[in-house]
Amino acid sequence: MPPKAPLNWGLLPPSFLLPLSARTLLPHTSNAAWRTTPSTQLRTIKSTNKPRPSRFTYTPNGAPLESTAAAALARRAHSTPLRTGLLAIKRGMTALFDPETGKRSPCTVLQIDRNEVIAHKTRAQNGYFAVQMGAGGKEAKNVTRPMLGHFATARVAPKRFVGEFKVKGEEGLGVTVGSSIGASWFVRGAWVDVKGVSRGMGFEGGMKRHGFGGQPASHGQSLMHRGMGSAGASQGSGSRVLPGKRMAGKMGNEQVTVKNLKVMQVDEANGLVVVNGCVPGPKNQLIRVQDALGKPWPKGPMTVEEIVPATIPVPNIAAAAATATTTATATA
Amino acid sequence: MATTMASTRTVARGAIQNSASVPMKVKGRASLIYEMHSQLYPHLYPLQHTSKDVIIPGRTKTPRHSNSSALTSRIDPRNQPPQIFNSLAEFKTVYKDEKLEMAVQHINKIQVYPAKPTIHRTCPDPVSHVTSSQIALLDPTGARTRLFAKTNPECARVGDILLVRQRTGDPFAGVCINIRRRGVDTAILLRGQLTRVGVEMWYKVYSPLVEGIEVVQRAAKRARRARLTYMRNVKHDRGSVENVVRVYLRQKAALGTADGKKKGLQGLGGVGGKKGNKRGKGKHRR
Repeated sequence: MPPKAPLNWGLLPPSFLLPLSARTLLPHTSNAAWRTTPSTQLRTIKSTNKPRPSRFTYTPNGAPLESTAAAALARRAHSTPLRTGLLAIKRGMTALFDPETGKRSPCTVLQIDRNEVIAHKTRAQNGYFAVQMGAGGKEAKNVTRPMLGHFATARVAPKRFVGEFKVKGEEGLGVTVGSSIGASWFVRGAWVDVKGVSRGMGFEGGMKRHGFGGQPASHGQSLMHRGMGSAGASQGSGSRVLPGKRMAGKMGNEQVTVKNLKVMQVDEANGLVVVNGCVPGPKNQLIRVQDALGKPWPKGPMTVEEIVPATIPVPNIAAAAATATTTATATA
Repeated sequence: MATTMASTRTVARGAIQNSASVPMKVKGRASLIYEMHSQLYPHLYPLQHTSKDVIIPGRTKTPRHSNSSALTSRIDPRNQPPQIFNSLAEFKTVYKDEKLEMAVQHINKIQVYPAKPTIHRTCPDPVSHVTSSQIALLDPTGARTRLFAKTNPECARVGDILLVRQRTGDPFAGVCINIRRRGVDTAILLRGQLTRVGVEMWYKVYSPLVEGIEVVQRAAKRARRARLTYMRNVKHDRGSVENVVRVYLRQKAALGTADGKKKGLQGLGGVGGKKGNKRGKGKHRR
């Protein structure tokens, strides 16, 4: 229920209740405010409906939209990471146990292979700030001449994968061209978003692709058990199938983003970044890893010089085994 | 015509490869392109500039790829304006890059820097690396691993009666009807009875919530199946294993250590503990 305006006893009654002489004392309020259409002197039948507001944000007299490149960058500033991400390879899944709570968390092992900065994209040159990263390796004879020149300009070996990571500003370009970045770029406990191409399922029906319910198995059902059913109403919706109707079709093989995965372990020497949860796509495929958009930006390294190499903590197995054997002999 | 083209090509190649002696006598368009390119990207021609070379002032801007900021140019000497080097040694004092120490190939007249060793050589199987580090963390003595290792002749097998002591709650005993070997996710399926109702429980072998796993009774005969799901049928159901466990705990208490007596097993009505190794052969014997 909408809030009621408080009753003001000091107000005058409506003007039509006042005598004519008193009406002149009222402040003159013209009704031109609602009459936006130009009135003519011609007396004709006029619509009592006010003109409807435009569906578009175009205002002829208003200020122009912020359509400049600078405004576009400013709009995206809050959702553009401060620093570059890395190109990783998905290597498989395993689980980690928390020794204190005993909680098991499934995790995916990503491997960083020879990530090197190939180029910078700057606002002045390209209209935005980005870091172009290369990963992996490729035989030079299989690389085209333009790309060979591109890699030579950055003084890096030819790369198998090249990807670009947009960064918010110039401070994101702290990684110099030609420098290599390892797994310790991500700090343990940080949050990342990962992007990858999901497994291609081929042409799939509505039940698998969109989770449709299918149709009954019996009760007179004939030759139609997994079909999608109706595609829409008849006359009510124009006797047509509305655009965007979910149907059978090609499933998977598209880029999928998984947001807010926690970095569980980092190993610089082996190039490992272990993230919590699962990551789209098959093993040995390229995964883009970047700081999570949905969390506060991490206080990770902004330049290569700030990277602190991390390792997976492993207890000394040999020493533990030795103590175990000694205790076993002692008890025996 | 053909001969002149061929000659310029050979000379241009020589200009890049025999950079020690910099032949700058190339005439015509090719040489102009070469000169301009070398001045735009001087670091691609590291040995070209001798002391006699003069850089045109207008051309001494930084290369396009690395005009990032003052921040980067402060850190990376490569982003500085082109320098003139008198010798390779002097060049190397500035560019302390191992890649330059190695032979830089030329393919189609373009420098190709040698690839660093792939990470697959350092760590060919990252998943097992992470898994083994987890197992080492969770099972420092290797007892659990040995208990379910196929190489161990005294390992626990399906059909054995196992007792799982947990960090919280009562211990659970039952016939092991399935062993799922998946590294750190290795788990066992125990089938027992609680309040005369058949109960099956999965236990992660390496879970910190599992304090101990003991072999209460070994199977009389080796099971000829990997998964004894037929035990769920009434005909083959083992039923309650409570009596077997009680006898085992009593025997263990008789031989047990003080440590074992401290930790009473109220849930199964017996006393016993961790260190008694009458039956838990795989666990404590090496």
